[in-house]
Amino acid sequence: MTPADLSRDEILMFLNTPEPGGHLSEMLDECTAALCKAAQPRTIYRVLPVQHTETGVTLGGLPLQGDDIALHLTGCKEAVLLAATLSAPVDALIRRAEVTDMTKAVMLDAVAGAAVEHVCNQLETEIRAKYPYPYYTARFSAGYGDFPITQQGDLVKLLDASRKIGLTVTPAQTLLPLKSVTAVMGMSHEPVKDARRFCCGNSCAECPYHEDCPRARL
Amino acid sequence: MDFRTLLLDEFVFLDGGMGTMLHLAPGELPERLNLTEPERVAAVHKAYADAGSRIVYSNTFGANPLKLAGTGVDAAESIKAAVQIAKRAVSGSACVALDIGPTGQLLPPAGQMTFEAAYESFRIMCEAGAEAGADLVVIETMSDLLETKAAVLAAKEHTDLPVLVTMTFTENGRTFTGCPISAAAMTLEGLGAAAIGINCSLGPREILPMMQEMAKWTKLPLIAKPNAGLPDPVTGEYYLTPEDFADFMPQFADCGVQLFGGCCGTTPAFIAAVRRKLDSLRRGRRAAQRPAAVCSGTRTVLLDMPRVIGERINPTGKKRMKQALLDGDMDYLRGEAITQTEAGADILDVNVGTPGIDEAAVLPRAVQAIMEVTDLPLQLDSSDPAALEAALRIYPGKPIVNSVNGKEESLKTVLPLVKHYGAAIVGLTLDENGIPQSAAERFLIGKRILDRAVKLGIPKEDVFLDCLTLTASTGESGPSETLTAVRRVHEELGLQTVLGVSNISFGLPNRPLINRSFLSMAMTNGLTLPIMNPMAEGMMDTVRAYRMLAGFDKNCESFIAAYQDAGTPAAAAPAKSNENLTLEGAVIHGLRQDAARLTQAALEMHAPLAIVNDMLIPALDVVGADYESGKVFLPQLIQAATAAQSAFGVIKQHMVSQEGGDHADKGKIIVATVQGDVHDIGKNIVRLLLENYGYDVIDLGKDVPPQKIVDTAISNQVKLVGLSALMTTTVGAMEETIKLLHQQYPECRTVVGGAVLTGDYAEQIGADCYAKDAKATVDYAKTVFGE
Repeated sequence: MTPADLSRDEILMFLNTPEPGGHLSEMLDECTAALCKAAQPRTIYRVLPVQHTETGVTLGGLPLQGDDIALHLTGCKEAVLLAATLSAPVDALIRRAEVTDMTKAVMLDAVAGAAVEHVCNQLETEIRAKYPYPYYTARFSAGYGDFPITQQGDLVKLLDASRKIGLTVTPAQTLLPLKSVTAVMGMSHEPVKDARRFCCGNSCAECPYHEDCPRARL
Repeated sequence: MDFRTLLLDEFVFLDGGMGTMLHLAPGELPERLNLTEPERVAAVHKAYADAGSRIVYSNTFGANPLKLAGTGVDAAESIKAAVQIAKRAVSGSACVALDIGPTGQLLPPAGQMTFEAAYESFRIMCEAGAEAGADLVVIETMSDLLETKAAVLAAKEHTDLPVLVTMTFTENGRTFTGCPISAAAMTLEGLGAAAIGINCSLGPREILPMMQEMAKWTKLPLIAKPNAGLPDPVTGEYYLTPEDFADFMPQFADCGVQLFGGCCGTTPAFIAAVRRKLDSLRRGRRAAQRPAAVCSGTRTVLLDMPRVIGERINPTGKKRMKQALLDGDMDYLRGEAITQTEAGADILDVNVGTPGIDEAAVLPRAVQAIMEVTDLPLQLDSSDPAALEAALRIYPGKPIVNSVNGKEESLKTVLPLVKHYGAAIVGLTLDENGIPQSAAERFLIGKRILDRAVKLGIPKEDVFLDCLTLTASTGESGPSETLTAVRRVHEELGLQTVLGVSNISFGLPNRPLINRSFLSMAMTNGLTLPIMNPMAEGMMDTVRAYRMLAGFDKNCESFIAAYQDAGTPAAAAPAKSNENLTLEGAVIHGLRQDAARLTQAALEMHAPLAIVNDMLIPALDVVGADYESGKVFLPQLIQAATAAQSAFGVIKQHMVSQEGGDHADKGKIIVATVQGDVHDIGKNIVRLLLENYGYDVIDLGKDVPPQKIVDTAISNQVKLVGLSALMTTTVGAMEETIKLLHQQYPECRTVVGGAVLTGDYAEQIGADCYAKDAKATVDYAKTVFGE
């Protein structure tokens, strides 16, 4: 991953600022370069059978909870379960910056958000090229809508992600390394009308759907 | 049959994949089968034993109580059943190993599971396995070195069984948590593993070079258990045939591997093929000597040239450090760790001994805090054996212990700890009679310490001797006696030598000159581990010049890299320092250095409190108002806060050096990220801003248990507690904390924030205030403290 791979607009969106200019812009360049150097992106995915049941939907035999994920996979016979992580050195880099320079820490955090997105986008491109489905629903993660975050551990287990890419889940369902994502993408021969789309999973305060996001507010 | 007898064979064959052979249905839990379908598990063991496996692994890889929680399967019960199934299946033709896999959670610094929790889960596994009659313990597929250490210690401390350990590495030669092969090898050998190696993740082609690397770092028998190649990304199937797999094994034998098996995708056919392939072969010779080195969980430092031990994390003679320790201000220690790392230190000494401090509690905390921000190996420095042991347990890697000395009491208590935890040790050449004047006597004490250590089984290369620097002003022969002793230890005993360099100049003028000169002389006489301040003028320069001149710096590369830019102006501070800049201006524009400099100047004319109230806070208010009105954004706000923080650093330094001076603190506030939550960047921004406004902030960190927050609030009579939670799953812990506070300390106010909170929800869980950002927290604090 190089700085050129990352979207500056997205970084600035995560940072909730227009281009700051002057030395802060330079600092952001440095942070972008440092993050790309530290990141060791790892990904894993599986294409799994989807079954719609009376109570909802299962993915590779795992019942997924909530109406939103079931709607998101309407009509899909298969779906991709994917996970991506920037790996432990990125967490360490941000931790150090939190002690030496909070401005850098906040910048690195924003760049990491954009970097995870980039890694997922790349993986998605790779997957789309490999399978003969014309339509894919957006990446939908545990914690979106009423798809509970408490299923994070099940998803990681289903991918054997801790063994395969070093991705673990804490008892409170946080992914560690912190800069990581899991997501489900429906695969379909028809457009999926009911597919959900909202939430980048990252930056709630800045989100245009903030006010009526069903994910938050418990 | 026992493991030691097996090792008399040229090669020992292990088993292959268990999951591969069980053909699990989706969602089926292998550990449940031990209780529900024992014959299915037994058939796998039998197939391996028939193929020639002499050690089979019980079906307990995931039988960790932490992993099985909520599945309805009891770990100990499943383990006992599994070991008995295996014993019956192989009926004496093979040893049965209790198989232990990772917990699936990470320990610090990468994760939040405590060492004790991991250790406890492994203890339960080991005791169950030993009780059921396992012949040995195998810890495999490990990625986190500290977790591995917890498992090894649990096995060593609760069973008498031999412990085999294999870790799993990625293409870059490190585990997922960044542990290099060298660090894994030296740490595990130090902890007393009976054999070590590599399993899983990759196929034999990829693992072979790693195995060759590991062979250099240990004298222990080596284990190779690769996957059957790499899995097909679409089907997940492994592609190597048993014969293809076996074709790699003679090269493994060449590099000295003695124990052979397979991991994911391998079957009894693989084991049979490997046996046939190795039938008439012999193991390659191993290197006689391991490199002298120490390590953290992520970095190995070779002791092949003078290496600098940074001395700054030590309260002796440092009021600010002492205050930080008394306040539990770990960020100050973290800061010192980062500066020394950046200045070029190779190892960091950590000493927290000061009156009023419980070293056994604080040393491990300090070690953990420091490991969060540096990957340098540490030297654990204490005269309290309990503190040393507490820190040794939770240290990921091979540390140095500073120190033991020639007194019987010290030898008796410290050396066994060093042996048990596989550390290196600094021996001080003094004994019951004090520090001998002559080099010859110091040499003799050093020799005695070495002999005792070696007798206990501590490798000679892990014993370092400190021949003690005496202040030059106390006698003109002092320095030369020290240097003679260093030379003799280095030349006659071949050991690493340690000296606290700056003691030499105590009480004399121009100390930097004396220190540099003595450092040069000492290195020339064989000093390999100077303990020194890497930031002190000229010290690192002297080390770099010495390394270059003494032939340790190939093509002068390191020297040139360090100094080629020395002629050009340093990377310019963002600011143009101008004469008219005020402290307010420096803060508003986020100029850290200027803010510190101007604060220093202001302290000559103004009281600290006046500087805070009349200069810093008005400046922050300007930035805060601009932020709220959208004129500036988060980066500028934080930059200003950071500048104010550097001003506060100067004020704090000033106040500790003038005890009894007036206090700039306006009141105490606790901030914490609630239990279960590990996101603390938001909380750290809040802390920064609160400190800027002159509040005395007690930062309890992340993942903080409710009762700890309440207890701290009560014992410090804190008026306001700020809580942060970023996950819907951890807001419950926030509610719980507020509830406990209401019950036990009702007069305390609470302010909450974090991505998943709203004003309504904050009210619902009983918080006094919801703060949408750091600025809002400050505004609320002002109302609580009646400003």
